[in-house]
Amino acid sequence: MSSIAGILQAPGARFEVSDDFEFANDFCRERGWTDGLPVVPPTEARVARMLRHCDRPWDEPVAMVPPRNGAATPLRLAANAVMAGCIAEYFPLVVLAIEALCEERFNLYAVQTTSHSCAPLIMVNGPVARELGMNSGVGALGSGTRSNASIGRAVRLALVNIGGAIPGIGDMATYGNPAKFSYCAAENEAANPWQPLHVERGMPSAASAVTVMAAEAPHNVNDPESTTAEGILGMIASSVATFGANNAFHPAAEAVVLLSPEHAAAIAAAGYTKAAVKQYLYEHTRLPLAQLSKENIEHRLQLRFPGRYTNAQAGEMVPIAQSADKFVLIVMGGAGRHSAYLPSFGNTVSVTRMLRRADGEPVRSIADFGTR
Amino acid sequence: MRKTVFLVSPEAPLQSVVGAAPPRRLDPHALRLGMLDNGKANGDQLLAFVLEALKAQASVVSVIARRKSAVSLPAPPAMLAQLAAEADFVVSAIAD
Repeated sequence: MSSIAGILQAPGARFEVSDDFEFANDFCRERGWTDGLPVVPPTEARVARMLRHCDRPWDEPVAMVPPRNGAATPLRLAANAVMAGCIAEYFPLVVLAIEALCEERFNLYAVQTTSHSCAPLIMVNGPVARELGMNSGVGALGSGTRSNASIGRAVRLALVNIGGAIPGIGDMATYGNPAKFSYCAAENEAANPWQPLHVERGMPSAASAVTVMAAEAPHNVNDPESTTAEGILGMIASSVATFGANNAFHPAAEAVVLLSPEHAAAIAAAGYTKAAVKQYLYEHTRLPLAQLSKENIEHRLQLRFPGRYTNAQAGEMVPIAQSADKFVLIVMGGAGRHSAYLPSFGNTVSVTRMLRRADGEPVRSIADFGTR
Repeated sequence: MRKTVFLVSPEAPLQSVVGAAPPRRLDPHALRLGMLDNGKANGDQLLAFVLEALKAQASVVSVIARRKSAVSLPAPPAMLAQLAAEADFVVSAIAD
């Protein structure tokens, strides 16, 4: 393991500034390192503490982050995690999220640079989420929980400082998204009547995992009245079925649905499996081709689905997702009959990665990483 | 005297991926032109203007025009290979 003092001898690796909170914050902001909010100054001592549970070489990249293709070393990630307000126990999830985001199939280059309003959502499953006190219940995607807020913020700062997703330069989002401050939560596994997301994707329930997906902000689906599963699912389907989002126009696009515990319980009590819910949504989220302009049909549907819409009639129904398994179901939230739909960026697929030590061993607790 | 402290840079430098450029063989009297539309609306119209301007200044003997299926995906290798084989000069455009 390299010493932090040795790594920091490289040119540009550190800056000497006045040991004053306001001065250091001004320095960080003027360098373009912040998200506009004050940060915790990433002093050598704080960064060293952030690396306490990091068993990777601190100066070797875990990923290259587009569009700058900057090398995401643990040291740089730790500086971003310090600025975001993380504690050292959160840091392995920051590293894991960056690794997942940089898998080629996620298409981070496009996600970072697009004019679309998507932001990478970081979803955490498994015992580590509970160990870190992550919020999966009331207000899970809102403010108020340090782990959710600072892990998501650390990833965002790294995407800017390492990846170069600087608004107006490397990030060309037309109006952006408040989720670009932080977009991170845990699945409410205790209230999930089905398998949690990471188990559905082949991992043991004792494993911990991060799933990343490029999604818009949640669109609320308020259904306090329906007493049947079909009533609730029909209301969700009506929110998913929209041409304003990108889903209908991209073959790979996934549709993320957050089910509140009450909605999930009601649907499961009626005998619906997770697969049956996905099938229902696949069959009931279709819109007539006639709702689209000629230009959208020619330039988007016909180009991306060669042959399918060449001689299509106005009454032809256009699916929002290309198969039932393109629906991603996550149980989240507290009391209340509100679910949510998170439209996709489009040309992206969600990526799930298990939390492991550097030697490949699955991690059940942050203590499994040891202390340095 | 005020104390100082060292801040660790959270930034990574730009990774340049520019390799050695092959020699260009541009003949303004026999230009084989390539046009790559990145897939956004109006990119085709911008390229049409560029094509007309180039034709006014050089002798364009062939034009190969291709369009990506989506701006958010890289051009397929086969498309790039064809452009490289059949064009001396490729103009790529994005619009919105």
